Amino acid sequence: MRRAVFIAAGLALAGTAQAAQKLGEVQAQRSPEQVYAAVCGYCHGKNVGPVIRGRALPASAVEYIVRHGQNAMPAFRPTEVTPAELKALAAWVEKSSADPKEHGQ
Amino acid sequence: MTANIDRRSLLGGAAAGAAAVGLGTGAKAKAVLAPGVRKRDFAGAVAAMRKVVGDEWVFADPEAVSPWKKSYTPDPYGKHVPVGAVCPESVEQVQAIVKIANQFRQPIWPVSTGKNMGYGMTTTAAPGQMILDLKRMNRIISVDPELCTALVEPGVTYRQLKDYLVENNLPLWIDVPTVGPIASPVGNTLDRGVGYTPYGEHFMVQCGMEVVLADGEILRTGMGSTKNPSAWQAFKWGYGPYLDGLFTQSNFGVVTKMGMWLMPQPPVYKPFVVRHKKMEDVARIVEAMRPLRIANIVPNVVLMMGAAYQLAMFKRRDEVWTGAEPITDEAVAKAAQANNLGMWNTYIALYGTEGMIAESEKIIRAAFAAIDGEVLTQEDVGDNPWFHHHATLMQGGLNLDEIGLARWRGDGGGLAWFAPVAPAKGSETQGQVELAKQILGKHGFDYTAAFAIGSRELHHIIALLYDKSDPAEEKRADDCYRELVTGFGERGWASYRTGVHAMDLVAEQFGTVNRAFNAKLKDALDPNHILAPGKSGIL
Ligand SMILES: Cc1cc2nc3c(=O)[nH]c(=O)nc-3n(C[C@H](O)[C@H](O)[C@H](O)COP(=O)(O)OP(=O)(O)OC[C@H]3O[C@@H](n4cnc5c(N)ncnc54)[C@H](O)[C@@H]3O)c2cc1C
Repeated sequence: MRRAVFIAAGLALAGTAQAAQKLGEVQAQRSPEQVYAAVCGYCHGKNVGPVIRGRALPASAVEYIVRHGQNAMPAFRPTEVTPAELKALAAWVEKSSADPKEHGQ
Repeated sequence: MTANIDRRSLLGGAAAGAAAVGLGTGAKAKAVLAPGVRKRDFAGAVAAMRKVVGDEWVFADPEAVSPWKKSYTPDPYGKHVPVGAVCPESVEQVQAIVKIANQFRQPIWPVSTGKNMGYGMTTTAAPGQMILDLKRMNRIISVDPELCTALVEPGVTYRQLKDYLVENNLPLWIDVPTVGPIASPVGNTLDRGVGYTPYGEHFMVQCGMEVVLADGEILRTGMGSTKNPSAWQAFKWGYGPYLDGLFTQSNFGVVTKMGMWLMPQPPVYKPFVVRHKKMEDVARIVEAMRPLRIANIVPNVVLMMGAAYQLAMFKRRDEVWTGAEPITDEAVAKAAQANNLGMWNTYIALYGTEGMIAESEKIIRAAFAAIDGEVLTQEDVGDNPWFHHHATLMQGGLNLDEIGLARWRGDGGGLAWFAPVAPAKGSETQGQVELAKQILGKHGFDYTAAFAIGSRELHHIIALLYDKSDPAEEKRADDCYRELVTGFGERGWASYRTGVHAMDLVAEQFGTVNRAFNAKLKDALDPNHILAPGKSGIL
């Protein structure tokens, strides 16, 4: 079965920072890197949405867009990305440097 | 590229400026109260809910409710906008909220993760409802690595569950709908959604629920209501009438826990794509696939992706077609060829030992060789992004590649899924393709579609893509969708599921006795009609 794709490769998670929770506990507050990997990064910098890192996008604009969903982007509610997570995320996006591996659409 | 963030408006005016220039966020629509609910009832409900969940988890002024208003589905008359949102973190809080809703007759629409994209997200079928947003309830309650089961709360995303399994080295797979990272097993299963591994029919692999009823009582289905239940996640049927189905695509209760079965990770996984060159090949593909699916030689839920749908994932329409009229098959074929796609791209996968896979592969290759299908593996296609996407899905992997669909046609993010079902027979395909093209074409929309075979049925998954930032186009999309429902309905092809904008119309396709039966159940279970009125056409 030379051509078979082995499982290990498929199990690797997109994004690095993991935020697994304990049984019976709600998800704890995540770092900006974790939120970016678990939510934003699936579209931005992939084939789907525009690159948002390394563009000095103002944090206030990032917050507004996340909550309202610009154009084809869904909105993300405070139950999904908590107010504290969003504040940290928006500041992080504003200050972030570009990741050469990302490509926008 | 026009769809990029407009840097000038962002960098200049930041948030307020972004609001003023209108970023197509869809938050413009105004919500109205539900029939019979007075302003002071609403205010009373809001105040009482604040006492239960805390001020910061009740949202009632129009700007604060914005995140719940966004939707891809057409709403030209503003009938589906929620008036508020309440976000509990425990079952006890859900019980208290349901009581308040009864007291003030304030309807509440439960969502788990609220990412029912193309079906309404967190908007509602009938007006004036508050969203009962269960995303904060996101505990993974138990995972049994021996039985390969899990018990989760509504707010657990597929990503959370996968993170848990990976970090704990549990060799179990999840099965995801195409938008796994931000959606949930509970929300998806309750809307009877699908994924693409052998566990793709989600309601089939659901086992046991906890439900808060409209009177605030807690019902556990299956074995869950016995003393010291031992088999809640192991045995689906319990005793007496099977109840779980009552809580799917319905408004008879609020599901607060759900059991599910997980697939043990197979030793080897091997994905394939079968390419066909002509539109009319779809009939032959379905004929070849049906026996393979019924005999479980192809074990997963199979997608037959039309080229236009595939192109719409990663391309903008004007890269492929600049006409105002619907894109032609010839133009689709040309772009497909340039991108190493067939007119139909059928994705299947094999799971098991190398020996098992080799045997099945022989049978599958022979079946498709007989109908001119090109059977390709990962090695054959290299880094083809479409193959990568489907190979990810067929092992329960996470991505959001398909959201690009919502940008096919302009910036506005308009998408409504039309999903009629038929028997899995080749003879059912051509007529559907023609009818779909005729109705979509009449309204100026492209045929961007796929077929899926679960087992004996054929789902036709039509993405009605439109530009929601153009009010005239939004209205046309709404009209077009309604014509699709009735036109297909006439021919015996009714939908398996629909968006908040068409729930009543689809319910009509299922006849008066069916509707009256559901209405009787509703009256008995929720006499004040406070749970999600309008869901599946049930008021
Ligand atoms: C590009 C794209 C691809 C998609 N592909 C797929 C696919 O492959 N398969 C698929 O199935 N869907 C697909 N979808 C549709 C949709 O996004 C998913 O089905 C998604 O899983 C539903 O959102 P959710 O899980 O957040 O459920 P939610 O939005 O939370 O729930 C859906 C509905 O179920 C009911 N409900 C939810 N929770 C409860 C509860 N606790 N109690 C009572 N009722 C409840 C409500 O009516 C709610 O509106 C796709 C969408 C897009 C945009």
